[in-house]
Amino acid sequence: MALIAGIAAGDGATWDHILQNRLVPYTLTTLSVLLIAATIMLGLAVPTAWLISQYDFPGRSVFNWAMILPLAMPGYVMAYAWADLMGVAGPLQTQIRDMTGLSARDYWFPNLFSAPGLAFVLASTLFPYVYITARAAFSMQSLTTLEAARSLGSSQLDLFWRVALPVALPTILGGLCLALMEAAADYGAADFLGIQTLGVGIIRSWTSFGEPNTAARLALMLILIAATFLIASRMLQGQRGTQQTSSRWQTPRRTELPSQAAIAATATCMLILLICFVAPVARLLWLALENRAQAVDLAPLLRSSLILGALGAGFAFITALVFSLSSKRNETVRMGARLIAAAGYAAPGAVLGLGALFILRETGQALSGAVAIGFLVWIYVSRFTSAGVEPIQATLARLPKSLDQASQSLGTTGLRQFWRVDLPLIAPGALAATLILFVEILKELPATLMLRPFGWDTLAVRAHAYATDERLAQATLPSLLIVLAGLVPVLLLSWRLSRTERS
Amino acid sequence: MTEHAALIADQISRRFGDRAAVDGISLRLEPGQITSLIGQSGSGKTTLLRLLAGMERPDSGRILSGDTVLSSTSQHVPIEKRKIGLVFQDFALFPHLTVLENVMFGLRALPKLDREKRATAWIDRLGLSHRVSAYPHHLSGGEQQRTAIARALAPEPVAILLDEPFSGLDPSMRDQVRDVALQAIRESGIPSLLVTHDASEALVHADKLAVIDAGKLLQTGAPEEVYRAPNSLGVAKALGPVHSVETANLPETWRNMLAPSGTWLHYRPEALTVAAGSDFVIKRLRLAGPISELELDLTGAQSLFAASQLGAPLHSGDRVSLSINPDLFFDFPEETT
Repeated sequence: MALIAGIAAGDGATWDHILQNRLVPYTLTTLSVLLIAATIMLGLAVPTAWLISQYDFPGRSVFNWAMILPLAMPGYVMAYAWADLMGVAGPLQTQIRDMTGLSARDYWFPNLFSAPGLAFVLASTLFPYVYITARAAFSMQSLTTLEAARSLGSSQLDLFWRVALPVALPTILGGLCLALMEAAADYGAADFLGIQTLGVGIIRSWTSFGEPNTAARLALMLILIAATFLIASRMLQGQRGTQQTSSRWQTPRRTELPSQAAIAATATCMLILLICFVAPVARLLWLALENRAQAVDLAPLLRSSLILGALGAGFAFITALVFSLSSKRNETVRMGARLIAAAGYAAPGAVLGLGALFILRETGQALSGAVAIGFLVWIYVSRFTSAGVEPIQATLARLPKSLDQASQSLGTTGLRQFWRVDLPLIAPGALAATLILFVEILKELPATLMLRPFGWDTLAVRAHAYATDERLAQATLPSLLIVLAGLVPVLLLSWRLSRTERS
Repeated sequence: MTEHAALIADQISRRFGDRAAVDGISLRLEPGQITSLIGQSGSGKTTLLRLLAGMERPDSGRILSGDTVLSSTSQHVPIEKRKIGLVFQDFALFPHLTVLENVMFGLRALPKLDREKRATAWIDRLGLSHRVSAYPHHLSGGEQQRTAIARALAPEPVAILLDEPFSGLDPSMRDQVRDVALQAIRESGIPSLLVTHDASEALVHADKLAVIDAGKLLQTGAPEEVYRAPNSLGVAKALGPVHSVETANLPETWRNMLAPSGTWLHYRPEALTVAAGSDFVIKRLRLAGPISELELDLTGAQSLFAASQLGAPLHSGDRVSLSINPDLFFDFPEETT
């Protein structure tokens, strides 16, 4: 709403200027980054998911969950680490020069500060979304269908291209859309790498160019893109029912790979993990140790991160709970609640931050203390409530409808029913949801950057500030803390996935 | 149509750990015949099927198609090269392909036009011409299974193995689907193995029966022969209800007629027919369609069970006599009881 008002307000630049110099180039850059990222993500996720779900090779059971680890890395942290690794003075190029005796000008080296570079960074942190859906799709596939294909003369490669992939494709693309939505919402990595995506454009238009109407239009475009991906992902995932496999035909799910293929599979998985997780984390650790990074200014950062995270997670959790419970018996309310939550989920942080700034400007409020924190928490709630609604509704959907009537017939209604029946039942799911919310807020960058009151720098904000100032050494500690926190929900997620897939 | 050779299992065994899932089985699937493999779950049916299909390698023994060795200790033709058609209980159609595309899946060597012609011919034979371009999720269970059978037959495999193909179907349509499907298989001349736990299905539809238990074939032969002359109590039980009675309790006249060798005799309930007289008291009576099942008092706290068509209505407590059909009494060596 605030955005439309912002467009109408119309100060700043002319529409022609916006269209030619801002909207079109920013949009094209964003789309090309997303296209490249999509290709990389499919290339990383689908073959690994196929290998891990169908074959046995050394390390398979570790890769099975470890492939999700890159999700713990926010895009901007990945960008810092790889920028350092790939820089002219970084270890990779130094190694090349030492080995060949060439000087820096004599050879070509890929430049991370480019659209493909940004696409690589985003893809390497977000490909686990695609991996998770692809793995689930492959392992839910009917075994007998695969056996039938083999009996009809399909080789292993045929099996993948002619049967498994076409059947799993809608699900995989659903996961891809989700990942692309997250990629479109990125601000930190793009800003650090100097790529003019919509997310960067929104904040620059507001802060550097003084063109709020440009910012609003860019934001609308970004919402459009993100919402398209979200809707596409929901549609794709609901499309085809899963197949049933009779339990009689007990084929071992996975075949043992012959030794050479097994070595290749292990090496591929290790390489992917190395690039997407181990190398960047190790580099950050090494930088932190080498520079004896000081922890002196960490305490206030940690404090504001924790307070904002707790406030945001708490409110988002309560909102999710209210949404879920109030919609328990009413289908319309349920759909409405999901829609609102999904709308917030699709709105990138930069867009929400901009909306808040517009509201503040219209009402003549200054961006100070309590007001700013209020807005920040409100943004966290609207952005991340859907992450809380989904698990709680999933839990509720599994409960029999007659449970309410049973508890009511035993004289427990209203608030008492909530305490004695609903809360204990949803507690495990809700706890996980709160944890995920907390970490998501900890990682959030653009909205916090735009709205934080003075003295309320979070870990993410400070890491970003250091990194863009080329003081990477100081950025390492906050970055590592974010990754560490991010590991908690990722491990939780991978544990839950492995449990549901086993049962 | 090409001449087909028999599929032969020659003394094949497969162990999982200590347990012999398949223990020295020899079996011939003759071309143009439907051989039915019948046994309880865990008896080794599925392992035998998997060995024949090439999904498992036998520890010993050979599998041949005519003179061609498919499996032996030194040789193994993998499933994708073996040309054995498979039909599963859950149909296992490719959900992203139409009926025609499903049936064409295994016909890769031919030019496209020939593939389509061949597939269409099989679809016609199974009575699915009106569903050629439908996707599996729009088909009924019976249509799905007929598609799966057409898909398995189209590449003219050396044999077709059907794993409980009809037990997933609605009883009302099962008979019709089964008739169409089995006729098409028989006419193709392709040797076939029908795995089932439904004794009446095996008795009615198979040309040859093989009863399996604990990894061993107990008996093979024509259905009539195996039903009437089972070589063990296990075989007798696999094909229908069997009751046991202590010979000492039987009436003198029966004992003379049956000349039992041990203390126990076994009989099918239809061996006993109700006749006029008052030798036995009816303890319980159950109306099971045209046949009534009766439980009758026998001395020594034992019961006799008879399945008989009744002329006049009877009630528990009534007295009747029984006539017996000695062919349906079985006298097995004692250790089998």
